Amino acid sequence: MARMLTERRIDWTGIFFAAVLTLVIVFPLIVVGTWAFTNVWRYPSVIPQEFGLKFWNQTLARADVWSSITMSLSLATMVTFLSALICLPAAYAFARLDFPGRNILFFSFLAGHAFPKFGLLVAIAGIFLSLNLIGTFWGVVLIQLVGTLLFMIWIPVAAFQSVDRRMEEAARDVGASPLRVFWSITLPQAGPTIAAAILLSFVGTFYETEGAWLIGAPQIRTLPVLMISFINNQPVIQYGAVLSVLLWIPSFIALLFARRVISSGSFARGFGA
Amino acid sequence: MSVLEIRNVTKSFSTTTAVDSFNLTVGDGELVCLLGPSGSGKSTLLRMIGGFETPTSGLISIDGEDVTRVPPEKRPTGMVFQSHALWTHMNVFKNLAFGLKLRRLPEAEIRRKVEAVLELVGLGGYGHRATNQLSGGQQQRVALARSLVLEPKILLLDEPFASLDQHLRERLREEVRDIQQRLKITTLFVTHGQDEALALADRIVVMRDGRTEQAARPDVVYREPATPFVAGFIGTMNLVEGAVANGTFKHSGFTVPVPAGDGPATLAVRPEALEIASADGAGMARIHRVTDYGTHAIVDIELPDGTRLKSMTGEARDWSHGQPIDLKPRAFAAYRDNAAIHRSN
Amino acid sequence: MTTTTAVANDIVGTKRGRWPVGLLLVAAPVFLVGWMIIWPIISAIGRTVWLPNEGGERSFSLETYAFFFSDQYSLNNLWLTLWTTGVCALILILICLPISLYLRFAKGRLAAYVQGLAIFPMFVPSIILSYAIIRVLGPNGTVDLLLNSVGLPKIRSPYLTPWGPVIGLVWDNIPLTVLILLSGLGAVSNQSIEAARDVGAGRWALLWHIILPRISNSVLVAVSFTVLGIFSSFTLPYVLGPAAPEMMGPFMQRTFRDVNDPTMAITQAVIAFGFCIVFGLFYVRSVAKNRAA
Repeated sequence: MARMLTERRIDWTGIFFAAVLTLVIVFPLIVVGTWAFTNVWRYPSVIPQEFGLKFWNQTLARADVWSSITMSLSLATMVTFLSALICLPAAYAFARLDFPGRNILFFSFLAGHAFPKFGLLVAIAGIFLSLNLIGTFWGVVLIQLVGTLLFMIWIPVAAFQSVDRRMEEAARDVGASPLRVFWSITLPQAGPTIAAAILLSFVGTFYETEGAWLIGAPQIRTLPVLMISFINNQPVIQYGAVLSVLLWIPSFIALLFARRVISSGSFARGFGA
Repeated sequence: MSVLEIRNVTKSFSTTTAVDSFNLTVGDGELVCLLGPSGSGKSTLLRMIGGFETPTSGLISIDGEDVTRVPPEKRPTGMVFQSHALWTHMNVFKNLAFGLKLRRLPEAEIRRKVEAVLELVGLGGYGHRATNQLSGGQQQRVALARSLVLEPKILLLDEPFASLDQHLRERLREEVRDIQQRLKITTLFVTHGQDEALALADRIVVMRDGRTEQAARPDVVYREPATPFVAGFIGTMNLVEGAVANGTFKHSGFTVPVPAGDGPATLAVRPEALEIASADGAGMARIHRVTDYGTHAIVDIELPDGTRLKSMTGEARDWSHGQPIDLKPRAFAAYRDNAAIHRSN
Repeated sequence: MTTTTAVANDIVGTKRGRWPVGLLLVAAPVFLVGWMIIWPIISAIGRTVWLPNEGGERSFSLETYAFFFSDQYSLNNLWLTLWTTGVCALILILICLPISLYLRFAKGRLAAYVQGLAIFPMFVPSIILSYAIIRVLGPNGTVDLLLNSVGLPKIRSPYLTPWGPVIGLVWDNIPLTVLILLSGLGAVSNQSIEAARDVGAGRWALLWHIILPRISNSVLVAVSFTVLGIFSSFTLPYVLGPAAPEMMGPFMQRTFRDVNDPTMAITQAVIAFGFCIVFGLFYVRSVAKNRAA
């Protein structure tokens, strides 16, 4: 007879995992958060000697911080905008239209994920070298744009495909033109998932470090790139901590809005699970 | 006057022909049921009338106007889908108002019309509800209302109750019939359920492989099925393959007088028309099983060669397993080459 | 009677007759893939085997590859990369498999909490992670503080040793590994497990004979994904790893930017492609198979 595990027991495994993961995953971030609000913390005191916002003022007074915030935001906005502009119509075409080579073109977006990423970046950089795109804003835009393609095509395709054809037909039936159907029915139905894809691509671009570093440095300095130089060269620990907290804000927004899409099975399936 | 005319319509997909040289004329205010097993082309036909598929050849006209290549948004038809296809991002009111807004009606009139139709389908005051707050039956009513509010010339229903349970289905089909009669709206109803067709239709079109098997009033389809297929598809029917010789149909001890020429034939007799009588000696057949339904009983009969027949009787207690019996069909029909060669009444 | 004949044409559906529109709509992203992914790879191979000689003419030569495989420093870097990738993949499976198994069968708030934590690193950019690891495990970091306060000696910090990137990369890759394994475990039905218990399978027999065979594909996908991600990772090894030997990512970057030898950097990239090709193909194949279904 099948044994049933319905009786209430203490979930020791769960407690173990919860405790270890809390220690390993949350604790380091709390340490960083603490550093950001610390005015004085000298070894070997276990807790900071003095809390305060002193280093927020100092960090936010730095010109390089502001210029890289502006740079990161304008890069991420531009990349996300261009990506949505070219990917959403393409996603609709993949989901709803038939044309020769549809499948092979659809799977071609996987190509970028079949190679080690940094190797690919170096290969692209080799081409950008001859096009004089190294160290330019548009060079970084291009390289980050390519990074968003897979998500911005595949997630919206799934979203469009999950819109019930009958809903669109019903709208045609009551007198809506094909364009009106797309605007009033298809887009609102697929909207939340597409919004999540756009948000993820914005956040992903905002944190993209490797392309920006390889193609853009030193002229194009994004927040993550600035963070690397803080880690390498900045003796004041708090600068990095404050910058970390600032850097994490977009991620926090993504966490709030995109969580449901990520924990749904379709997201993991996008990775081939 | 005919509202809908379908002439010689054929629809071929890459490998199959879904609808094959189909003809149908529907009069004003008529409720026609397209009845058939899945794959008989009834839904494809409905979708062609609605404008969602274009015929490979043939002509569809509404009110004398050729609409064969007119897109769905420009046709005076209203479709209710099996999956109801409500727009889940709009509430009930907006679902109904969408088509009216496209027609640029004034706000007040939209409101008045929507409320009137909601009242009609028994959902008065449900306008602000989200579609996912409704039960399956209510959702289907909203879908119906969404089509009705535009006052279409022809209402098309594609197995609208297929996803509902038996009880609800029966109630809704009565409501649909009431509404249809009140509005006198020409209606085409696709179903694979014979009960639904018999209960609703002014006329039933039985379809098979994209063609019409029979188009007639429900009682005619039931009592005088044109072909063995219709006979077998509508209601329960005993179909016995045999041969006629010298004015008598015969199959394994079961004989019935059939005044027709010699040759193979299919005998069709309904269980309620197949009387049985206790036989002295061997009889034509034996009783295999008796199932008592209270109001009536079904007797399973086994012919000597193992063929099974059903008979409906009033009293279960009169019969028992193994009992030899004689069969006396009160009403029956005989078919040859897909056409009736004799009807008993 | 008039008979109109036309091509079959579904009004709203996916049908022929409009394919120029479809191709037009997908043209831009497809062009980008061709120009920025396919072409660079072909060009990278071309540029590294057709080298210019003294006269400026290009001819077939494997010189740069010969140099890479005879240069001890390059080989050390390659070896470090292989070691890091292998160790990370192994540790990831050892950590994530138990977590996924637990999440597959547990219900309730505690399980939701564990799942939330396991997925959380996805929302922590690796640069913040690097910083956090330095603050916690670096010299005079929080761990040292805590050990010191109870009178224990300091740890040997993994910062700037090969273990630094390993810790960071494992941390970073936990969410996707767990998600991929969980999705694989979703395919193992409760009934098949109950049936196995019914015939007397214990916990380990269950894991070994019922669950693992069913999720072996997911494990391979997770490993492929990890290998592809870690083999040429840049940020974490660059910030946390030792200066020499270094992993392929920082090595390529340094060769490209600091040494200013793009041809050699691209050679290193092609070598990285070569080492990952099997995983890449397997990964693409399983994703494609999944999507087609």
